[in-house]
Amino acid sequence: MSRRHPFTLLVLVAALTALAWILPAPAGGLGTTAAALALAAAAGPRRVLVPALATAAPFWLFLLLLHDVPSTIAIGLRLTTMIASVVWVGALLPPGRLVEAMVAAGWGVTAAYLFAAALSAVPLLKARAQRIVDAQRCRGLSPRGSLGRRLRALRALALPLVLSVLHEVDERALALETRGFVPGARRTPLTPPRDGTAERAGRWLLLVGCAAALAWRIAWRG
Amino acid sequence: MSVRLLVLIPAAAAISLALSAAVDAVALPLFLDTTGTVLATALAGPGAGIATGVLTSAVNTLRNPTFWPFVVVQIIVALYAWLAARAGLFRSLKTAVPTGLGLGVLAAATSTPISYVVFGCTTTGGIALTTALGRALGLPPLGACFFGSFVADFGDKAVTFALVTSVLHALPRRTAARFPWALRAVGVAGSAGPA
Repeated sequence: MSRRHPFTLLVLVAALTALAWILPAPAGGLGTTAAALALAAAAGPRRVLVPALATAAPFWLFLLLLHDVPSTIAIGLRLTTMIASVVWVGALLPPGRLVEAMVAAGWGVTAAYLFAAALSAVPLLKARAQRIVDAQRCRGLSPRGSLGRRLRALRALALPLVLSVLHEVDERALALETRGFVPGARRTPLTPPRDGTAERAGRWLLLVGCAAALAWRIAWRG
Repeated sequence: MSVRLLVLIPAAAAISLALSAAVDAVALPLFLDTTGTVLATALAGPGAGIATGVLTSAVNTLRNPTFWPFVVVQIIVALYAWLAARAGLFRSLKTAVPTGLGLGVLAAATSTPISYVVFGCTTTGGIALTTALGRALGLPPLGACFFGSFVADFGDKAVTFALVTSVLHALPRRTAARFPWALRAVGVAGSAGPA
C-alpha cells in the first residue's frame, strides 16, 4: 500500500472515516473499524496497529464513563475507525512524498512550503523548548509552587522560544527570496509519485460510494 | 502575501505545538495550542491567523487524529484575535486577560457541539472527567459537555492572550514594525489601519 499515490491513501482514510459516521451503527462502524484495523495490521502490528489501539483505548474508557453501552459501542467504533486509519496513513505516507504529489498536481509552491516547513519545524522547536527549560532550571528557575509562581515560570520558558522564532523569520524570508521563492509560483517536482488511471478511478469510486451511502441514509433510513 | 508573512505562518503553527514542552515543565492543565494562531493574527492580520490555525490543526492531526474536527475553533480564535488586535486590546495584561477569558467562553461554545456530536465529549481525559463531574452535578448531557469544555478553555485562552501580549511588548519596536498589525495590536499605531 505504501507505493500507492498519496491522494489515494488520503481518500481511503477520508472514505473510511465518513462511512463510519454515515452507515448505521453498530454494523456500519464494525465494518469500517475492521477495515481500518486490517490496514493497520497489514502495515505492521507493532509500528501501526499497537499505537492505533493505544490511542483509541482511552476514548472507550471515557465513553463508558459518560454513556450507556450501545452509545459507547456506536461512538467508540467511529472513533476507532478514524484513529486507526489516520495512524495508518501517518505511518505509511512520508510528508515529503505528499508535498511532491501536491506540487505534481498543480498546487502552488506556497501550500507545499507551508506544510513541509511546519512539519520540519515542530521537532526542532520542541528540542529548543527543552533546551530552554534546562537552561532556565540551571539559572535557578523553579517551575513548581503556587499557581502564580508556575505562570511566571511558564512566561520565562515560553517567551525566549517565541521571540527566537520571530527573530528568525526575517532570516528565513531572506534565504527563500535569494533562492527565487515566489509565493504562488508553480514548481516542477523532482520525483512525482506515479498516479495511474486505475488509482484515479478508484479514488472517484470511493468518493461516489460515500456520496451514495449518504444519500441512501438520508432518503431511506432517515 | 509577502515571503516574510509566509514564513511566519508555519513558524507560528510550530510554536503552538512546541509550547507543550514548556507547559509540561510547569505542570499546568493548559493546552496553549492556539498561541500561534493568536500571535500570527496580532502580527499579520486574519488571513495569516486563519492559515496558521488550519495548518496547526492539520499538523496536529498527524499526531492525534482527534484534532481535525476542531479546526473551526482555530478559525474562530483567529477572527476573535483580529477584532482584539483592531481594538488594541493587546496593549496591556489588564486588557488582554479579560479578552482572553471572553475567548475562552466563545471557544467552549464553539467546541461543545463538535465534542458532543463527534466524540461524545471524550476529547481528552481532563474534559471527559469534568464532563462526568457536570453530569454528577445534574447538568443535562449538552450542558455537562459545555461545562467540561469551558473549564478547559477558560483559563487556557486567558493565559494564551497574556503570553502573546508579553511577546508583542518584548519585541523590539523595529522588529514589530515589520509586521503589518503588530503596532496597532499593542495600541501604539493609530486606528486608521494596520501600521
